[in-house]
Amino acid sequence: MKAGVPEVGAAPRQPCHPMSIEALIGRQNRDGGWPYSRGGSWTEPTVYAVMALLSAGQTASARRGLAFLGSIARSDGGWPPCPGVEMSTWVTAMVALLGPNQIGAALHERAIRWLLDTAGEESSSVFRFREWLLGNTMPAGDAKFPGWPWIPSNAGWAAPTSIAILALDKEDRRQPSPRVRNRVNAGRQFLLDRACDGGGWNYGSAHPLGYSSLAYPETTGLALAALHGVRAPQVDRALVAAQRFLAECRSADALNWLRFGLRVHGKLPAGYCTPSGVEFRTIPETSLDLVMTAAEQGRDFFWA
Amino acid sequence: MHPKLTRRQWIAGSAGATLLAGCNANRPPAAPAAPPQVSILRAPAYDQSVYQTMRRVLATHRLDVRGLTVVLKPNLVEFEPGSSINTHPLLVHAAYEAFLAAGAASVRIAEGPGHRRITLDLAEAAGFFRIVPKFEDVFVDLNVDDVTRVRPRTQFSGLQKWYLPNTILGAGLLVSMPKMKTHHLVGATLSMKNLFGTVPGAIYGWPKNALHWAGIAECIADLHAIYPRKFAIVDGIVGMDGNGPIQGDAKPLGIVVAGSDPLAVDATCCRVMRIDPFRVGYLRLAAADLTHIADQSIVQTGETIASVATPFALVPGFRNLRLAP
Repeated sequence: MKAGVPEVGAAPRQPCHPMSIEALIGRQNRDGGWPYSRGGSWTEPTVYAVMALLSAGQTASARRGLAFLGSIARSDGGWPPCPGVEMSTWVTAMVALLGPNQIGAALHERAIRWLLDTAGEESSSVFRFREWLLGNTMPAGDAKFPGWPWIPSNAGWAAPTSIAILALDKEDRRQPSPRVRNRVNAGRQFLLDRACDGGGWNYGSAHPLGYSSLAYPETTGLALAALHGVRAPQVDRALVAAQRFLAECRSADALNWLRFGLRVHGKLPAGYCTPSGVEFRTIPETSLDLVMTAAEQGRDFFWA
Repeated sequence: MHPKLTRRQWIAGSAGATLLAGCNANRPPAAPAAPPQVSILRAPAYDQSVYQTMRRVLATHRLDVRGLTVVLKPNLVEFEPGSSINTHPLLVHAAYEAFLAAGAASVRIAEGPGHRRITLDLAEAAGFFRIVPKFEDVFVDLNVDDVTRVRPRTQFSGLQKWYLPNTILGAGLLVSMPKMKTHHLVGATLSMKNLFGTVPGAIYGWPKNALHWAGIAECIADLHAIYPRKFAIVDGIVGMDGNGPIQGDAKPLGIVVAGSDPLAVDATCCRVMRIDPFRVGYLRLAAADLTHIADQSIVQTGETIASVATPFALVPGFRNLRLAP
């Protein structure tokens, strides 16, 4: 059954806590990291768990998580998705979001540099020259503004671009830099160019192979967060779509990102709480819920 | 008179020649020791009868799975109410029950959707939690499963190493259970293309764009070679044609196609869909000597292809795949 679009200022609901901080600590692996749900440690869930713990003031467990992250940093300045993978990927932006006080100034600086040196392959001059030689045409805007790929030498996509923007925007507020600001602005234009006709974001192009793609709730919330402070018709349409998703969607991951995206634009209903019945099944889902709840109470890890 | 080559044609031709020369470095799979057997079974609807159908599939192919760890790999992409995007959960559960009844040591259901990260939410929306008891206990999200580095036996894609899920690498039998669909990038998506779902998104992203850059057909061929012990069960009860694999139209056929040789199974499905398997890039590449996909070398059981064949609508870019009448 579909509910109506909630209005800003709706009556507050009872707070909900899908997993306690203690339970989150209990899921920490011996190496200090966290799995997605079970098994070995991965970078992404560890970053989210560390954020949740720091938001709650649980520094001992967070420090072990940070030590795990420090131990797997790669020589090129990036991070692998998990130990043993010989490749730096988009998760570098996740680690960069933690900031120099948490991950260490040297590692953080190298992570920022890695992000600045990484871009979707479609925006590289080599790729564009090759496409020209082959007589291929690219949709207008597809190569003009560089986004970020999931892994280097691939195309840019909405989700890794959004996370990279969040990390670099945070860095630019900490230590203003024209180079960082330019990449943030280009990344935001990359997102605006890929907004779906009906509002919001799919994972990539709005018109792959000439067909209109549908927006995803989770990508829409994440991209809206990355477009914090941006005024554009695409943002307005996305906010309407995000409010609709917030009312209809029952995915914990999607709801976390929708809360984030709507909040930074001042459109999250006051006192919003995740509806009962939503299953928080993974460490990222649980951790992000805790991070978002803390942010809504003034302890904002993404911006502070 | 020889036509004059443009600069672009010359470069493209040179690149093609280089690629062809490089193909000699590949080791194509050998011709099958015994003729591959592919069965086509009638399955009119997603109802209780599919449980009997699945038991017939295993009996027809004399599958000995006693003591094996069996992993069922359905195709779970997105969920849209009323659409036919995903392998139907009833068919997957019927296979789960049939393999357990046949003596498998354990049966897991595993998938790593390529578009969206919310695997369990997709599975819930698609009905897996409702139909498969204790679904979360038997399901593995391949996008975030622990991985092992693998160096492929073949090098069609040029990817020197792959990071692949331990659940799949450790399977005694990997059962690919795709939906019978057209695909706007490769023509048809069947049991071999379904292997893309074994590539972990937590490493390669959503979508698994690295496979697109390395060549979709080439990556399918490499994955086919990496996983040696496979069985294919194709959900053709309701397929999808047109702009598949997501935005196409439901295509009811009322069949299940199965066999131990995924190449032969996919070639048969293509013929059912009135697609020429010899024109599907990844089948040609992986079959190499083509005996796996030639109709005269496949032992067809159950229904005949002619009795169930129906043309699947193709998007303009793939109309050249249409099987000649």
